[in-house]
Amino acid sequence: MASRAEQSFLDPAVLAGIADLELIARTVVDGFVAGLHRSPDFGFSQEFAEYRAYSPGDDLRHVDWNVYARTERAYLKRYRGETNSQLTVLLDASNSMSFGSKLNYARYLAASLLYLALHNQRDAAGLIVFDDEVRDFVRPSTRTGQLARLMAALEQAQPRARTDYGKPMAHFQEFLHRRGLAVIISDFYAPPEEIVRAVEPLRFHGNEVVLFHLLDPRELRPDVDGSELLVDLETGQRFEVTAEYARHEYRAKFDAHLTDLRQRAQGAGLDYFLLPSDRPLDLALREYLTLRQGRN
Amino acid sequence: MGFLAPWFLLGLAGVAAPLYLHLLRRQTTNPRQFSSLMFFEPRTQASMRHRKLRYLWLLALRLALLALLVFAFADPFIMRPAASVTGDRLTVLVIDHSFSMQAGTRLADAQRQAAATLSGLAGKVQVMALGNRLEVLTKPSTDRAALRAAIAGIEPGWSHADFGELARGLKASAAAAATPVTVHFFSDMQKSGMPAGFADLMLPGNVTLVTHNVVGATAPPNWTVASIQAPTELWGSPKDTPPARVEAVVRGYNTPAASVPVVLEVNGQVVARQTVQVPASGSATADFNSVAFGYGWSEGTVRVEPAAGLNDGFAADNSGVFSVRRADPQHVLFVHAASDARSPLYFGAALQASAGSAFVLDAVSEAGVVGRQPSQYALVVLADATALPAEFASELSQYVETGGGLLIAAGTATRALPVFGGTVAQPEDYGEQYLAVGDSDTAYPATALLGNWPGVKFYYAARIVPGDARVIARLSDGTPLLLDRKVGEGRVVVFASGFDNLTNDFPLHAAFVPFVREMASYLAGNEEAGPQVVDSYLTLRTAKEQGAAAAIAVQVTNPQGRRPLSLAQALTAQTLPLTEAGFYQLKLADGRQQVVAVNPDRRESDLSPIPEETLALWRGTPRGAPGNGSPPAGSTAAGAAPSRVPVSLWWYILLLMLVAAATESFVAAKYLKVRRDEESAGEPLQPAGVARGSAGR
Repeated sequence: MASRAEQSFLDPAVLAGIADLELIARTVVDGFVAGLHRSPDFGFSQEFAEYRAYSPGDDLRHVDWNVYARTERAYLKRYRGETNSQLTVLLDASNSMSFGSKLNYARYLAASLLYLALHNQRDAAGLIVFDDEVRDFVRPSTRTGQLARLMAALEQAQPRARTDYGKPMAHFQEFLHRRGLAVIISDFYAPPEEIVRAVEPLRFHGNEVVLFHLLDPRELRPDVDGSELLVDLETGQRFEVTAEYARHEYRAKFDAHLTDLRQRAQGAGLDYFLLPSDRPLDLALREYLTLRQGRN
Repeated sequence: MGFLAPWFLLGLAGVAAPLYLHLLRRQTTNPRQFSSLMFFEPRTQASMRHRKLRYLWLLALRLALLALLVFAFADPFIMRPAASVTGDRLTVLVIDHSFSMQAGTRLADAQRQAAATLSGLAGKVQVMALGNRLEVLTKPSTDRAALRAAIAGIEPGWSHADFGELARGLKASAAAAATPVTVHFFSDMQKSGMPAGFADLMLPGNVTLVTHNVVGATAPPNWTVASIQAPTELWGSPKDTPPARVEAVVRGYNTPAASVPVVLEVNGQVVARQTVQVPASGSATADFNSVAFGYGWSEGTVRVEPAAGLNDGFAADNSGVFSVRRADPQHVLFVHAASDARSPLYFGAALQASAGSAFVLDAVSEAGVVGRQPSQYALVVLADATALPAEFASELSQYVETGGGLLIAAGTATRALPVFGGTVAQPEDYGEQYLAVGDSDTAYPATALLGNWPGVKFYYAARIVPGDARVIARLSDGTPLLLDRKVGEGRVVVFASGFDNLTNDFPLHAAFVPFVREMASYLAGNEEAGPQVVDSYLTLRTAKEQGAAAAIAVQVTNPQGRRPLSLAQALTAQTLPLTEAGFYQLKLADGRQQVVAVNPDRRESDLSPIPEETLALWRGTPRGAPGNGSPPAGSTAAGAAPSRVPVSLWWYILLLMLVAAATESFVAAKYLKVRRDEESAGEPLQPAGVARGSAGR
């Protein structure tokens, strides 16, 4: 097994030089899949997970008759795909995502996840692009050409307006009745309780929800020199900010925000993953998926 | 409040620099887009205000520092009540001890008034005396005994008081004191002591003048010998020369018309007596026609002796002195071509024509110079002499090198100029034409009286390359006519034409006589030492004598019979200040004896005081206002000091500058320390991590 040091992770700056989003997704996914040596525990669906005793009402098609023949007891054979058989990516395309390379990074991340679901797992995959409205919606599907539609929707996602988590979540609940995995990629510039309040209902419908908190390193550690006049990309608000404040009080407030969001997400049964945009994408995905395998 | 140097306030424009750095430069910050400012809440602005406040402190300190620097240069002052600054104030007592203060009891009155004024003063006091210059007698002191001794020790002087010199001296003292200065001036306030321009009397702003006129507003009558015209040197035996003539001008100031006896004394003996009719406040001349002076130095005195009924307010100026020296005439060696008998004729006649001539001409041809020693002659003249014996030429050169004088007349035959050097480039014969003098130096002794040599025609002139010689006169075509060159310690003068009345007609003109006389005196080194005035300087030795390895002492005896020079000074002093009136006896470094007559400056004889209006203008106060210190004798002017005086703030400004600079350094260092802390506070980003949801697990 190759050590991590020997692997060449994909720098986001390198990925930015590739125009074809599908190629990026393939490069990323194939890379880290190869790095994992095709672990049998990996995947979203169609792989054996466990046996469960038959109970009246269960679909007889799932009874493992071989086991029944040997033991005369009926067991249902469960697959992972039965719990996560549909992936929907909710991509925040508000103006704040245009800061730095966040939106591109979010595109690469979404493309990689969608490619992984469609190409490797043969799962249905869909996309919702939103800001304060739902700007684009690709219904989850496994049909031929679905990947191309998803990639096109990602290409066309442009930053605009502010973020409102209420409308896209309501839209998601309205059109998606089949439970699955919902991945929300955003910078989450909103009060944590408001974010969790908007996202939590998805969890009630049996969806597994993952929050990818995408941030530019300069948002975590602002590079304010002396005093600067900053303009909010979403609200247009202006503040004169000093380096002293940015290095102390801002960091404290931002760290508190991250901690609060993480804790509230945990409390609501949501997966939370902080992802700086300078982190190699394949490395981040690998760590994330490895952790998911451990959890399952 | 005012400023002594307000032009420095223009430097306040320099405060624009920190204003630009702190304010204008900050406003040019370009806005930068940021993803969200949700974590920059109103607390951010409060922080900025705090930060701005700190910046403003720094700005204010820097502005204050610059402004204080400008103010320090502008030298601000405020007017404070005189009583409140007594401790800082310097009082200067100036006592006039010029020659006129010898009249009556003026000096004693001035000393008494100064002592009385000193009794009423507090703080530091300084005593000065005014003659032709301001003498500082004590340092600023509170020792009243020493100050009184200094006042009492002021002796009568012979100088002419110059109030302009007083103002200049006080300016220097006031600048050094840097505190308010009150000057009490005790004088007879002679009008003749005023400088030519009133601006010379102006005093600095921190000087307050209080005048004390020790005499009344009107001048007493005074008779004096205003001037004496007498020969300074007589040559030859008294039997062979006519008796000398002495003229004395007698003048009266504020005097009625009167007959005034005038007495002439020579060496203490009355040799003549005359009575002159002097008009009211006028002058008359006493003419002593036949006065005999013997060999050597004679000391002459002319004295007026007003009749008993005539009031004379100043007896000390009733006489004037002069000195006369009689000696044998000096010999002049005149070398001419054998065929030229005209040049010695004209030159010798010109020398003899000068009354009381100091020279006797010894004319010889070129061949006749054998055996002659140039050093035995006062000067040597070469009149177109082209064939000098080599031995004589060598001695002549040495003679000039050691200080002798040589006059060369370059006639038609001269092609080389001995001692002077150089050759005659191209003789110029103007033939029937002639040239006049185009340019002549009237500052040169021999040509001072000639102007442009009017009417003199030059038919021939040698063209001489001047080199480093000084050209005294040129012909109208620019040809150098008279050249002077210093050779060693002596001088060589070249006349580019002749004295034979052939190459020019100069010998036929009257101007030829003074030319020859002055030229001979100049080259022989004769200096007329007429009567001197007190405070002038007498040359004791030349620079050459000064630099001599074995210095020879100069003996000086002043009119009091004392030797004013110490032994060291007698060996080295080049000049002697003549501080007293009377006869100075000198034995100079070259062995010559000399008697110098010294008279006081006759402007001191006019006792007319300065009008009160002028005095008030000088004090800067209206007539009768405080500051006029002309009370009756014996009173003091301490109470007449001005009620408000300027107090300089320079030192306070400097202290404030130091405080501002220290505070600015502290604030700036603190600010920079914060910046360094901020820059070192950077931390690596936390690695990405996953928070797993727990609900429903």
